Amino acid sequence: MLSEPEIRTNLRAWVRRKSAADLGADFGDGTPLFEGGLLRSIHVPELVLVLERLRGAPIDVEALAPCDFQDVDTMIGRFFA
Amino acid sequence: MTQIRETSDRLCRLSRRSYQNPYEQVDWPEALDPEAEWFTSAECSSLYGTPAWDRLDEPGRRRLAFHEAAGFYSLNIHGEKLLMQGLSARLYRKDLADLTGYLHHMLDEENKHSVYFGGFCTRYARVYPSRQLSFGGTRPRDVEDLLFFTKTLIFEEIVDRHNQVQARDRRLHPLARFINDNHHREEARHLVFGREVVRDMWRSGASRWSEDVIADVRAEAAAFVTACWREYYNPDVYADAELGAPWALAETAWSAPAQRERRRAYSAGCLDFLTGAGVLTEEPSDAF
Repeated sequence: MLSEPEIRTNLRAWVRRKSAADLGADFGDGTPLFEGGLLRSIHVPELVLVLERLRGAPIDVEALAPCDFQDVDTMIGRFFA
Repeated sequence: MTQIRETSDRLCRLSRRSYQNPYEQVDWPEALDPEAEWFTSAECSSLYGTPAWDRLDEPGRRRLAFHEAAGFYSLNIHGEKLLMQGLSARLYRKDLADLTGYLHHMLDEENKHSVYFGGFCTRYARVYPSRQLSFGGTRPRDVEDLLFFTKTLIFEEIVDRHNQVQARDRRLHPLARFINDNHHREEARHLVFGREVVRDMWRSGASRWSEDVIADVRAEAAAFVTACWREYYNPDVYADAELGAPWALAETAWSAPAQRERRRAYSAGCLDFLTGAGVLTEEPSDAF
């Protein structure tokens, strides 16, 4: 199991890879991902796979809502607490 | 629209001629032996050509192929659920009146396909969950229409390549061959319709839309190609096939050169069409 800082680093790196936006230094763990247009809802299945891989356990998507993916901080609280 | 109406009328006649009852077409076997027979063509496996495939013995490869069949049928079920929602939402819309007759057939046929896919999964395996989550759309209706039919086309074209290969594969269990062959025969009509609609909607929309809207459509379509393919690398399938570290395996398989090549080859027809029509201007960078 990765440490929380490592998980955050992984998630930020993935968002940077996927986002078409030019993410500057102000991109952080509280930056809105979907609302801010960095990611598209079409990215969710891949994001869920990344989250599952990082935590080593499946996620029941039927129990989720868009707000669970608001930003890196939210995902840490929702999937790694 | 005249050409679409003619195509729609012709496809309606063909659909009526091949109308079928999915509850009478198949004698479902009492049980299947996943390690004794093939249910997915080896070449269609998401691990084919990777070190993980090389490490498997023959029964292990067939076991994986069985669960991959259930995974393939499951992603079809989830894709068809979204498709049926989109089709039913567009029935009897005044501006799409020329399409309504064929939308009825498509809706009917997609539902029947899911009866076959669900019949296999619920009898012999399971329906794997989808990882899709809808955030709702905020785009103008004509843009949503184009994206709906474009995504449908991408999804169906990739599925159809798998269907064609497996319908011809004499190694496969007759049930798997039937499901793939039947789906291919029906989808051939849907693909003709889809290409016609996408070409028409793009032609009329792109001349009116701003550069930003066009860029958004292109980015969404490109991302959807990647999203479609990602579903073929399913950690749940690998876990059921008794393979360790399923998420890492999915990632390794996705990046394997043989799999990149397979995705590119299976997507070529679809991407040629979308590029030729103008919807895409380049190959989706992270799909291959």
